[in-house]
Amino acid sequence: MLHAHQLSKSFAAAPLFAGVDLAVAAGEVVAVLGESGMGKSTLLNALAGLEPLEGGRVVVGGTDVTALGEAACARWRRTQLGFVFQAFHVLPHLSVAQNVALPLLLAHRTGAADAERVAAVLAQVGLHGMGERLPRTLSGGQLQRVAIARALVHTPPLVLADEPTGNLDPTTGAAIIELLLGQARAHGAAVVLVTHSWAAASRADRTLRLTPTGLEPARPPAAQPPAPCPAGA
Amino acid sequence: MPRGRVSLRAHRAAWALVLRLLAAVSLPEWRAHVWRQSAAWVAVALGVAMGLSVHLINGAALSEFSAAVRATNGQPDASLRCEPACADAVFAALAQLPQVRSAHPVVAFSSYVLGPDGQRVPVQVLGIDGLTMAAVAPALLPRADAGQDRLALLAAHTVFANPAALAQLGAQPGDTLRLQQGVATTDWVLAGSVAAGGGPLLVVDIAAAQQRLGPAGQLTRVDLRLAPGATQAQVQAALQGQWPASARWHVPEDEAQATTALSRAYRVNLTVLALVALFVGAFLVFSVMALSVAQRMPQFALLGVLGLPAAERRRWVLAESALTGVLGASVGVALGVGLAALALRWLSGDLGAGYFAGVAPRLQLSAPSLLGFWALGVLAALAGGWLPSRQVQSLSPAQALKGLGGAPVSALPKAVSPALLVLGVVLAQLPAVGGLPVAAYAAVGCLLLGGIAGVPSVVAGLLWLAGRPRWAPLLLALQRARHERAAATVAVAGVVASLSLAVALTVMVSSFREGVTAWLGQVLPADLYARTATRSVASDGAYLPPGMAERAAQLPGVLRAEASRLRSLNWAKGQPPVTLIARPLTDPARQLPLVGPLWTDPVPGNPPTVCVSEAMVDLYQARPGTVLRLPLATVGAGGGPGGVDVVVRCVWRDYARQFGTVVVDAATYQALTGDHRTNDLALWLAPGAQVGALQTALRTLAGDAALVEFAVPAEIRATTLRIFDRSFAVTHYLQALAIGIGLFGVAASFSAQVLARRREFGLLAHLGFERSQVWAMVAAEGAAWTAAGTVLGVALGLAVAAVLVLVVNPQSFHWSMALVVPWGRLAVLCAAVLLAASVAAAVSARAAVSVQAVRAVKEDW
Repeated sequence: MLHAHQLSKSFAAAPLFAGVDLAVAAGEVVAVLGESGMGKSTLLNALAGLEPLEGGRVVVGGTDVTALGEAACARWRRTQLGFVFQAFHVLPHLSVAQNVALPLLLAHRTGAADAERVAAVLAQVGLHGMGERLPRTLSGGQLQRVAIARALVHTPPLVLADEPTGNLDPTTGAAIIELLLGQARAHGAAVVLVTHSWAAASRADRTLRLTPTGLEPARPPAAQPPAPCPAGA
Repeated sequence: MPRGRVSLRAHRAAWALVLRLLAAVSLPEWRAHVWRQSAAWVAVALGVAMGLSVHLINGAALSEFSAAVRATNGQPDASLRCEPACADAVFAALAQLPQVRSAHPVVAFSSYVLGPDGQRVPVQVLGIDGLTMAAVAPALLPRADAGQDRLALLAAHTVFANPAALAQLGAQPGDTLRLQQGVATTDWVLAGSVAAGGGPLLVVDIAAAQQRLGPAGQLTRVDLRLAPGATQAQVQAALQGQWPASARWHVPEDEAQATTALSRAYRVNLTVLALVALFVGAFLVFSVMALSVAQRMPQFALLGVLGLPAAERRRWVLAESALTGVLGASVGVALGVGLAALALRWLSGDLGAGYFAGVAPRLQLSAPSLLGFWALGVLAALAGGWLPSRQVQSLSPAQALKGLGGAPVSALPKAVSPALLVLGVVLAQLPAVGGLPVAAYAAVGCLLLGGIAGVPSVVAGLLWLAGRPRWAPLLLALQRARHERAAATVAVAGVVASLSLAVALTVMVSSFREGVTAWLGQVLPADLYARTATRSVASDGAYLPPGMAERAAQLPGVLRAEASRLRSLNWAKGQPPVTLIARPLTDPARQLPLVGPLWTDPVPGNPPTVCVSEAMVDLYQARPGTVLRLPLATVGAGGGPGGVDVVVRCVWRDYARQFGTVVVDAATYQALTGDHRTNDLALWLAPGAQVGALQTALRTLAGDAALVEFAVPAEIRATTLRIFDRSFAVTHYLQALAIGIGLFGVAASFSAQVLARRREFGLLAHLGFERSQVWAMVAAEGAAWTAAGTVLGVALGLAVAAVLVLVVNPQSFHWSMALVVPWGRLAVLCAAVLLAASVAAAVSARAAVSVQAVRAVKEDW
């Protein structure tokens, strides 16, 4: 599904990373670990076509994302990509359902079937019956569920998640990761999860670490026993 | 599929998406900030309403005035105007020409009529052949009232009045009207009416006019219908040498052109002032959109990540602006039509300026003007949204989502501001185009835009000067302003835009008012004035008896008496008439407010000398030393065909007459023309003279007490300034609007800033900062930015005022004025703006920090 080949990026002539190769199959979840400032979020943005690269190619489902212009890339994201952020980024004046429906709105999908789709996704993320509420009435965990529903509502083949549990307590964070990965797998989407939490990364099919010279397999921290895999993962 | 069709489909899809975003995302946002959004469209509505109403009012008045002129003059193929009169023989000669199908003699003059209740109304009198005149001017056909003799139109004592005259005189058929001729009157019986619109008009039979109003056997014009195929040139050739040299040929187009020229500069200036309101409206849209966009930047970033391309984000913001414009302009058009209807009902068609006296115009709506002003409103809103839309387009979604890399303050290159300012100065040096100060208006626009465009650089400079203070709140505020310059720039730019307009208008009005006041002091040196004609066009019908000045000088208490003669001269086709003033002129430097030195070089032939107003120099190049030909019929030596040659000795400032004045010594004038009539009398009184008794004595001298009016300089000054203030009332509204909008800009900018800084304030509260300290800090910030804006605004306003007073004014009205800066009033204005802005900032801070500090630090955005 996703093929990234020899990606390189630098800021103000200082190399951030280089030689990054990454392949993710449909339905596969890959976690990318790394210390702060290593460029994990920049890599994720590059995969989404939001960050220009010095070198390399990103091909998603046969489309060379790095070759697309700004407008074409934006239109590609509309249908092919779901994005979950550390902050929830929900629009405060729109209801929960309207927030979730934003990707459908951009894709000109505003029919009755689409409204049903929004309600179904909300139910899948545990927000059944909460579509008409405004974001300010929701807790942090609920807001991140809204964000996950928004990332999956248009059934994108690729989901990128940037520290989705960074603003949440460990219990809520674990539940959110389970929800995100479970839903993505159910939709058959490829997922790239950027995190600095081993607990979150351990839920992935593969765990990689970003270094200045590329991605390498990550090992669990020695002091901590590996977290048990959830049943069915 | 063809490429064009694909592109069209993509285009349609993009716009459909923008519409959906407007409905789904923008409307809820607007509902949440209903006051802010309302201010934007209300500002557009007010701008459109003001521009449209001024346009409609002036248009209606001009159209009514022109229609009245057409009705009175009729639609002859050609017209011979005699100055002052032609003999009946000219008519006879014209009527016999084969090129002339019909000739219609007319005696026309302006005077005053006394109604049944003694009211004195200025009136135009036409003596016509009632049986044939309908062929060229149907509106002049006399209609006898029921009960009146059907042959009344041929009677020697009957008069027919138009609706305006009937209304102003309150006369009924059968009433006696007294028509003034000199200081005597003749009695006429009102027998019916004529349909002609416009100001008061009386129609009498031409024979009766010649016999009773004199001079007998004389005509003032002959209107012609030409035979098929004949031209005016053929008639002129056929009649070669058979008409007086002072007579001139006219066609109806000349009248229409002169009528339009009469008030054109005033109308254009008023419309431009009204459009200033639209500019201010555009600026408010910019303030609102800039702040709304700054606040929603993360939302635009999110949508960018979700797949909304940069061009569509820009289109979306422009569509929001356009929607604001459509709403504001639609309300504005309705409001403008309503305002125009009210103004036409309660004020005159020239908003009190006196160009269209006696005209009662009706509102005339035309689709192009309504649509035009509506489109201007939408364009103004789009212009206001242009920069914010560019900011949204250029944002980097990934960075903006993290709150990094705020959008640039301005998409304009730094050179734009100085370039516009320099261009403004250059444009201000250019001459008028077609009698209108087009380049000077462009200069004002360039100066305003250049000044506002320079605000970001000035803000950056001030922030650089501020250094790094040690007081934490101030440091926080400064650091924030350094990184988020957009909000500070919007606040300062709002103050600059509004204050520069307010200062420019204040200085302009002060300069005009001071100029007029000082001028009145110079041109009204006597203690008492007596006159019988208040308008120069009526001066041939209403005049003082010969020798009046000499007799008045003998009255007890009178030290000196000077009489002057006013005449209206048709100087050039398509131009309003020039006024001739004949008065004792022994020492022009002392007697007139001169502009420049006296011309003392000898001129061959030693012709008589005159002083001309500045308008004569502008319109007819009558500079000192120039030889002019006055279109006067002469009796003595010195005259020639078509008039008399005079040399311009001096130029004087005449604020009373916009289209030119020629002042000639009374003795010279009388010797040249044999005209001994006078219209005004200026009297210098001995100390302690009894003005009341003197007025009675003067009325007795004049013969008919009702025909002479008296005025003391203080009254004339008060009346003049009252008319002046009424004409400029519109500028007070504009000033209030400009300042209100500036304050709104400050309040909106600071409330947005404070909203954005709630987390910072919440943090400060956690660290032990009191709420009152937060308010004080924000109010101090508001005061500091407003002070910077005030200094810039005053400087820019003075520059704009200089262009208005020193360039626009002389190019429009042909008179010069000194720039008078009312420092005291400006200081009060600035202090008021400063105080109001600080209060606005503090109030918005209070509203924002009332949110619980704990909630503020937890907010997502």
